[in-house]
Amino acid sequence: MLEVRNGGFETTVQDYPGRIGMLSLGFAPAGPMDDYAFRFANVLVGNPPGTAGLEITAGGLVIAFEDERAIAVCGADMGARLNGQPLELWRSYLVRAGDILEFDYLQGPGFRTYLAVSGGIDVPPVLGSRATYLPGAIGGFEGRKLQAGDRLPLGEPLTDPAQAAGRRVPASLIPSYPGYNEVWEVEATRGPQADPDYMTAEDMAFFFSHHWKLDAASNRTGYRLDIHKWQWARESGGAGGGHPSNILDNGYPVGAVNVCGDQPIILCIDGPTLGGFICNAVVAKAAMWKLGQMVPGWSYIRFKEVTLEEAITLLKQQDETIHESNLERS
Amino acid sequence: MTEHVTQPSGVILASFPERNGRPSVVYRNAGDSFLLVEFGEMVFDLTMSFRVLGLDDAIKHNRPAGLIETIPALRSILINYDCRQISVRDLIDFVEDQYEHLPPFENLVVPSRIVELPIAFDDKWTREAIARYVQYQRADAPNVIDGTNSKYAAMYNGLRDEEEFFSYIMATDWWNAALGFFPGLPFAYPLDPRYAVVLPKYNPTRHWTPAGTVGIAGPCLAIYPVESAGGYQIFGHTVPIYDPLQRNPAFRESPVLLRPGDRLRFRPRVTDEELEALIQAVYDGTYQYVIDETATFDVGAYLRFLKEVEPEAEAFRRRQAEAAARVPVP
Repeated sequence: MLEVRNGGFETTVQDYPGRIGMLSLGFAPAGPMDDYAFRFANVLVGNPPGTAGLEITAGGLVIAFEDERAIAVCGADMGARLNGQPLELWRSYLVRAGDILEFDYLQGPGFRTYLAVSGGIDVPPVLGSRATYLPGAIGGFEGRKLQAGDRLPLGEPLTDPAQAAGRRVPASLIPSYPGYNEVWEVEATRGPQADPDYMTAEDMAFFFSHHWKLDAASNRTGYRLDIHKWQWARESGGAGGGHPSNILDNGYPVGAVNVCGDQPIILCIDGPTLGGFICNAVVAKAAMWKLGQMVPGWSYIRFKEVTLEEAITLLKQQDETIHESNLERS
Repeated sequence: MTEHVTQPSGVILASFPERNGRPSVVYRNAGDSFLLVEFGEMVFDLTMSFRVLGLDDAIKHNRPAGLIETIPALRSILINYDCRQISVRDLIDFVEDQYEHLPPFENLVVPSRIVELPIAFDDKWTREAIARYVQYQRADAPNVIDGTNSKYAAMYNGLRDEEEFFSYIMATDWWNAALGFFPGLPFAYPLDPRYAVVLPKYNPTRHWTPAGTVGIAGPCLAIYPVESAGGYQIFGHTVPIYDPLQRNPAFRESPVLLRPGDRLRFRPRVTDEELEALIQAVYDGTYQYVIDETATFDVGAYLRFLKEVEPEAEAFRRRQAEAAARVPVP
């Protein structure tokens, strides 16, 4: 068991790749916003990379352990301390019964951090996954974020926790996050409703060059960007509605940039699965993790256009990177 | 294999003209994990849904390795696939092959439940959502008149007043072509074209819509299953269609009430207080949803009905177009 002493700002149980195959019923996959850090945390403690762990947003979590486990914290620096001693990120540790892990709030760039525990968080799977899907109030721990007093069951570790502890991700594989007010470069392909049928080539050139400010009203469902007056290739949305951003409703790719009237919104992993606005771009799957570390109200985004082939190559490289063979003994 | 027609922007991966009475098809790039398959033109043609659901069924039954799932909508299917297991070219060839061999749909009699839902119009929940929108998001929205969207909806469709608009909502059955956006959200289209109202979407979209809200954008009616953002014009409230805690027998098998191919029928019209009691009864487990489980839908008979009412439907569409031209779009 893992006992929650303080749930912090927003801490949820997540697994990867989340609730797959349910988009047609309206269930977004959920899962970790930064799957790179999440998967590496699991690999560090000897878990399969998709094992259920905790997503800690902004900080504030305090938990107590009740048995011997390997743990790892990867992602944004929230000044994590184990029994009062600072904990290094991207490194595995051994914890024992009675040990207390505390997180402060953000100490620098980044927005989320991930805790993996050997054996994983063993909440019951709902519709095939342990991921918390907040908009649908299902999965994870009672379909909600964690709060003081919650007791999370843990699974049986696959490897000896003492063996899994004491390993680190090499510095070359630890991403450095752009600071507040700095620009994240996010790889994306053109989407199903880009130019020339829906937007003009100039609209798309603007889209791929502008530094988009991430609105404060952004969360796991969607990342709102600046209002922009688009040229549009059409006068109206025809049968989809009056505005040229309207279409007859269709499925939305996870990670699509959905242009609602004048406002582009990146559809994140808790986002809508179907709707009637155009999608002019889709974030490369291998770049989705970056969304998880952006700070709503502060970060800027520039979309870097990649081809479908380039996006696939990035994904394969990422899978190879997040692998036990790349870890170092510390 | 027929010739692929593509675009310099790379958005259209392949397209094929109409063949042997089968609508044209366009394959649109939707990132490294999705492919959008689009049929015919962007016109509101409900019969397309029967073809789409037919093809969707065939794809599901013959799915190749790497095809994760399909998300059918009115005139499109979004395919979620693993680009590490199947190439987009092979996926297109597979779908083309299924499409080629699709049996004629005119003689189909498909299972289609009839689900009756009580409705309150211009209720307190809807007014609250609109009031918040005006206060925090857009004070000068032309689609808000007297704190509602229903007066605007009547004007936009050339109807006398909101009461006539409400009577149109209740006059037709609504074909649920797809589920999505959020868990269990129906995308329902009017089966009787004489009452097929059309509306533009919000601009910008609403940050908040309460669960149970009924809205329309384009020709499509939606019920918001959970509290969420939204872009539809909203005018009514009904009983829950999603319950993650599965508190009513109707949710015993799944937290989602509706299925693709269901017909929705709004009746009876109730007051806010009556609806409040019904919602409470849903959660008590005492409310009995009125669902005809064994009903079927005869596509041929429906096509004959369409022919019969076409002159009246055409007259309504003319009236709508004239009215819409005089009304500002949000």
